[in-house]
Amino acid sequence: MPRARALERPRGVALSFQGVTHRYGPRIALDQLDLQVFQGEVLALLGPNGAGKSTTISVLLGLVRPQQGRVQVLGSDPRRAVADGRVGAMLQSGSGIGLPPGVRVEQALGLVRRLYPRPAQFDQIVERADIGGLLRQRTDRLSGGQAQRVRFAIAIAGDPEVVFLDEPTSAMDVESRQGFWRMMRDFGDEGRTVLFATHHLAEADEIADRVIVLNHGTVVADGPGATLKAAVATRRLRFVTDHPDRATLSELDGVTEVDVCGTGVSIDSLDADATIRDLVGRGVPFRDLEVTGAGLEQAFVALTGCGNGRANAGAGLLAKGPSLGATVRDVP
Amino acid sequence: MTELSAAAPALADDPFVEDHAGSVPRIGWRSRLVPLMAFGRFEVGRLLRSWKFLAITVGFPVIFYLLFLRDRPAGEVVGGTVTWRVYLMVAMCSFGALVAALNAGGTRLSMERASGWARQLRITPIPAWSYVGTKVVASMLVVLPVIVLVEGVGAAFGDVRLGAATWVGLTVLVWATALPFALLGVFVGFLVATEAAFPVVTGLMFVLGYFGGLFTPVNRMPGSLQLLAQFMPSYHHDALALAALDGRTLAPSHWLVLAGYVAVLATAIMWKHRVEEARGLA
Ligand SMILES: Nc1ncnc2c1ncn2[C@@H]1O[C@H](COP(=O)(O)OP(=O)(O)OP(=O)(O)O)[C@@H](O)[C@H]1O
Ligand SMILES: [Mg+2]
Repeated sequence: MPRARALERPRGVALSFQGVTHRYGPRIALDQLDLQVFQGEVLALLGPNGAGKSTTISVLLGLVRPQQGRVQVLGSDPRRAVADGRVGAMLQSGSGIGLPPGVRVEQALGLVRRLYPRPAQFDQIVERADIGGLLRQRTDRLSGGQAQRVRFAIAIAGDPEVVFLDEPTSAMDVESRQGFWRMMRDFGDEGRTVLFATHHLAEADEIADRVIVLNHGTVVADGPGATLKAAVATRRLRFVTDHPDRATLSELDGVTEVDVCGTGVSIDSLDADATIRDLVGRGVPFRDLEVTGAGLEQAFVALTGCGNGRANAGAGLLAKGPSLGATVRDVP
Repeated sequence: MTELSAAAPALADDPFVEDHAGSVPRIGWRSRLVPLMAFGRFEVGRLLRSWKFLAITVGFPVIFYLLFLRDRPAGEVVGGTVTWRVYLMVAMCSFGALVAALNAGGTRLSMERASGWARQLRITPIPAWSYVGTKVVASMLVVLPVIVLVEGVGAAFGDVRLGAATWVGLTVLVWATALPFALLGVFVGFLVATEAAFPVVTGLMFVLGYFGGLFTPVNRMPGSLQLLAQFMPSYHHDALALAALDGRTLAPSHWLVLAGYVAVLATAIMWKHRVEEARGLA
């Protein structure tokens, strides 16, 4: 859903990374990361395991001090922003649920509210996070998805201007996930900055204004949700024709990219049906036609796949480039 | 790069905000103290509501007192003018303090670190040290009622009779000198993985209890064990209180050893905290 609101007024920079490098021992987690996130932006952070998503969030929270580069949150040092109670976060839980054992949900939430100088209303948090039915439950008896909702409540308890969510829906069922997306979007619509890491492409596409794909600690793709949608819509047509004419093929309806190799043709199209109709209409003889989705999933794999990621760093937009890779199935 | 120009949220009516210079008001000391007290109350309340914690911290010293009381004639003098009934009460006060402090700190802290709760607190506005600090304070706070309870059991079931001032003095002394136990509990919680925390805490409880002379007076132990006892904080904790009751001067060696434990454990905790913080784990 487009956010007109966000475009209307000039926005300050909420988060900024300048040449940030962080190593855990010899292992590089962030590699010269540059990134700017504007106030009111809802940003999704995608990337394979170990890409540096959690490290990015840790750095933004001041939990980790990067060895090189400059990080600012709301115009100040990350720790300053945290100490001023302007930041909330839901961390990736390790072995446990990230809640204090042996207390009721309302007690844990009540405590966290009291730790902030300007907390949100208790009832409002409860409604937002949809935990009304869980308040009197003990934290160690929550299901995984319930615990995630409670941790979201804790993340927003301080009425933060910026929220970081690390894989917030990983344990939720489809229904809670949908509800969660709604409330995350509401949160962004209020002009707060939301940065969330996820492995769900649909989630990124659905709620984010902007999607960043991270690999090996650098940004390999950065574009608005609409660009992702285009990537999802893109289909790749492959067929064999005896005398391929690049000029004609480029004129076909919906075509964005033509690749000719001998008698083999590969075309990327935003509307495969129209392209095929046009192909038939122009009387181009073809055989062995194969239509595959050069979708988001594939775009993602191509961008972050072994060795490919760095080469594509300049590509910038997800939907562009013939490097989207051989594809065999559609996006779910 | 565009500089941030957002207006700060309206804060003018917040009584806790003292300084309005700059776009973001700094938070005054009072509003820094209020959250810490809330956190302290939360921690103490959590301990006192836990049946497991209460059963262990109250059960061990009280049951041991009642059991061991019959081992000897209650009026038998075990050292100086101190009788068995008094010795045992003081020893069980030490043991109760030890058990309460180790259980309040150790297992819980280890669990909370593993579960990510400690990290979650780390990203709230309270200062970095306040998690550990509050744990130590909460341990000390739950130690006090345990001491008073054991004294009550001593008076009720062991016929211990002391003057009012002596009771108060004894309580304060035993309580204040329990600080090394509180630090030890927190240190164990920092150092030991969750699965190991409970066995380690239980092991320490009995090692420090037995070799510190809390189950048998040290002067009734074999010579080698008497030497070992000198290294136990539990021995010095107990010995200080016994000396006070016996009207003897409080030997500086006891204070020195306890202070040494405090210094070493506090340093170890700070070191561990710093290491973890550098790694982004604390
Ligand atoms: N505390 C740590 N100590 C050592 N190495 C670490 C630590 N945390 C992360 N790493 C390493 O840093 C790199 C980036 O990890 P990070 O957790 O940021 O990835 P991620 O994108 O969040 O992955 P995932 O999708 O699995 O959550 C990885 O190679 C990881 O092994
Ligand atoms: Mg992660």
